[in-house]
Amino acid sequence: MNAAQALLWFFAAGALAGGVLMLFARHPMRVALALIGSMLSLAGIYAVLGVHVVAVFQVLIYVGAVMVFMVYVIMLLDVRDPSFLRRYGPSLLPAALLAGAVAVALGAAVSRSTLAEAPLVASLGDPEPGTAFAVQPFAAELLERYWLHFELTSVLLLAAVVAAIAVVRSGRRHDG
Amino acid sequence: MGLLTLIVLLPLAGFLLNGLLGPRLGRTFVSLVGCALPIAAFLATLRAWTHLGGGESALVETAYTWAVVGGSSFDVAFYFDRLSAVMTLIVTGVGSLIHVYSTGYMKDDPGYARYFAYLNLFLFFMLLLVLGRSLLVCFVGWEGVGLASYLLIGFWFEDPEKAQAGKKAFITNRVGDAGFLLGMFLLYHALGTLDFDAINAAFQGPVAPAVSASLVGLLLFVGATGKSAQIPLHVWLPDAMAGPTPVSALIHAATMVTAGVYLVARLNGLYLQAPEASQVIAVIGVATAFFAATVALVQTDIKKVLAYSTISQLGFMFVALGVGAYGVAVFHVYTHAFFKACLFLGAGSVIHALGGEQDVRRMGGLARRIPVTFATFAVATAAIAGLPPLAGFFSKDEILWFAYASERGGSTLLWAVASFTALLTAFYMFRLLWLTFLTPSRMTHETEHHVHESPPSMTVVLAVLAILSAVGGFVHVPHYLEPLMPLPATDPTLHHLETPLIVFAVLTGLAGLLGAWFVYRNGLGRAERLARRHAGVHRLLSGKYYVDELYDGVIGRPLHWVSDRVFLRIGDRRIIDGSLHGLVAIAQRAAGRLSRIESGSLQLYVLLAALGVAAALALVWRHG
Amino acid sequence: MDNTSLLVTLSIALFALGLLGVMIRRNALVMLMCMELMLNGVILSIVAFAARTATVSGTVLVFLVFVVAAAEIAIAIPIVLQLSRRRHTLDVSAYGELKG
Repeated sequence: MNAAQALLWFFAAGALAGGVLMLFARHPMRVALALIGSMLSLAGIYAVLGVHVVAVFQVLIYVGAVMVFMVYVIMLLDVRDPSFLRRYGPSLLPAALLAGAVAVALGAAVSRSTLAEAPLVASLGDPEPGTAFAVQPFAAELLERYWLHFELTSVLLLAAVVAAIAVVRSGRRHDG
Repeated sequence: MGLLTLIVLLPLAGFLLNGLLGPRLGRTFVSLVGCALPIAAFLATLRAWTHLGGGESALVETAYTWAVVGGSSFDVAFYFDRLSAVMTLIVTGVGSLIHVYSTGYMKDDPGYARYFAYLNLFLFFMLLLVLGRSLLVCFVGWEGVGLASYLLIGFWFEDPEKAQAGKKAFITNRVGDAGFLLGMFLLYHALGTLDFDAINAAFQGPVAPAVSASLVGLLLFVGATGKSAQIPLHVWLPDAMAGPTPVSALIHAATMVTAGVYLVARLNGLYLQAPEASQVIAVIGVATAFFAATVALVQTDIKKVLAYSTISQLGFMFVALGVGAYGVAVFHVYTHAFFKACLFLGAGSVIHALGGEQDVRRMGGLARRIPVTFATFAVATAAIAGLPPLAGFFSKDEILWFAYASERGGSTLLWAVASFTALLTAFYMFRLLWLTFLTPSRMTHETEHHVHESPPSMTVVLAVLAILSAVGGFVHVPHYLEPLMPLPATDPTLHHLETPLIVFAVLTGLAGLLGAWFVYRNGLGRAERLARRHAGVHRLLSGKYYVDELYDGVIGRPLHWVSDRVFLRIGDRRIIDGSLHGLVAIAQRAAGRLSRIESGSLQLYVLLAALGVAAALALVWRHG
Repeated sequence: MDNTSLLVTLSIALFALGLLGVMIRRNALVMLMCMELMLNGVILSIVAFAARTATVSGTVLVFLVFVVAAAEIAIAIPIVLQLSRRRHTLDVSAYGELKG
């Protein structure tokens, strides 16, 4: 087991621990922190895999933007909210069974798919990772092949902005 | 476009023009289109006729390939031989005359354009029927003339009784059409073709087709009984008189009702191999002729008398077909078209003059008031009665002769009944003549004041038809058709009787004339005394042998009962409605249960969505 | 256990944990975060397969998913804020009357 491999296992354990913690933490702020930990571990995994672009995005967009936003909102909220005190809904056991069933079914589906047996191109933990995931091929791929999708996401973002403003304004008017 | 296609399409163009544009463009346009196109079709037919070579030759024209199924193709093809030529000339010639007549008769009708559109539509289908090369095209025309007949009988559809008559005609014809279709299917199954010439050739050929000619012949004859109003499907024709009178003249006297005769004559090759079917045709024909003639004796509606007389004359034609004298039957179709059209149009002229009166008991003394109508009506009456040298004499005499002497089913009994029917025919026709024109007037004062001779558009047509009824018999149609359908052999030992039989036929006609004169010369008095003395017979005849009532009791009511009790109450309400209501109730109850799931609990929704995902994945796992 | 199997197993585990969180946690904001966890699990599987097959398109797809996630959060957070402003609670069981 080389160093890269060890790092991979380490980050995987971190991500999993974050996810488990999210279920048990009582206060939303702790949940958010657990999620941030999980996300940073995933960013570590991406970095080990050599997919640096995604690792950077993970940190910048998810941790840097989304989660910070989330933390601000949590700090705005009322701490005496009863949902902070009572963590779980009524159907705890069936939900747990069902989540397990979905996990098993997904695992079975993946194990049967041919994708898992796809030829190994990039060897993991390569001291000199392949140049396939450098920024330049990524940019070329995005702007040459997927430029339409890229443009469409801008429409989506615009719609989200408009919707967010509409939601906020309508609430304000209602409050009078 | 070939000449035959043109003949067929001209009236269709008239139908489209009048039907689509007629109501907007006014009466002059409608009359012009309505009359010019049939006349053009007549002229085109004459032209085609001149192209026709001698004997068995025929013009064949494929207008359009309708469908190709496997190896066989169904063409809309036209076939013009001497038989088609005679029929087409009758249809377009008499048809054109009646169109001209209609311009006068229907002058003030609000549905003028519609009337001419229907009339042209009828001509189109009729031409399809007589010119079609195959049974299939013929059948399209056959159904089409039924449709046009329905539309025209119920032309004044505001009157429920007239609309009802149209329906009756249509539905009765459907019964016959079922036979026609079955016969057609059998023929196609056995021969793989529906072309008339091929069918005739197959049945005349050395190898007999693998189908019973008599069975096919009988099935097709069932179709013919519907269209040509033979027992037992004759009941629609008297009611069909509800339509405008020119329609009765065109459709229910001269052309459509002879379609059955045409069909049998057209398939003479088949019927020659079907002696049993021919026997049935002859018996049905003579029975129809006799019964219809007896009913005609006591009818008081001028058009009903003519309707029963038409049924009776059609019976004569079927007698001729039954004994193998196909050409003679067509000969009678031809003469009958003239004198019966003349009679109907004359009756129309009378009705026109009297402002709608149709009951002969309230007529009389019209001879001097409407002389042209009287003269033409008298000529046509004499023609149908078989007085020489008018047209009816020739054709009827030939029928009687072959009924007696043909070696293909002629017999003394057949001849005797037919001759007696001829006597009745002469009697009731002259009765009609006397009651309408010659006896002292029985009209109400108001009607009498109103009487006027019809306009020239009607009287000229009447005159033309009267002349044709007078001289038409000198064209010997059976001889002309002989290359196509040879006359049957006659018993040589009977040949010496031919002249005495002719004399006898003339005498029966004169006897009918004298009888009518004796009974009706002074009005209704003597006839009413006779009716009282034989009240039972009179009631039976005026009730038309109660055939309608019989059908109603045997078919109508049970059908109604079954429809109501079994199909409506049990089938429709209980089974169909019941099962639907049951399904609705189940759906409602299930939906009621399921709607409880929609509790507003977001987490339950997520749970269910996850359950769906897990189930879908399990399914993929199982069958992937 | 090779690396791809490890990563795919991890992604499935994260997805299932997120799903479980969405199903059991009462707090709307926590549910949102659990959904983010599910999304992260999915992204991980994409990246793992992309890395294995050296497919650059996979990283482009991940990028697009990020954008969509950002849009989602941008609209979800105001809604959560509105909810808390109206009822002063984020307990989803308090919003049961939002049924059809």
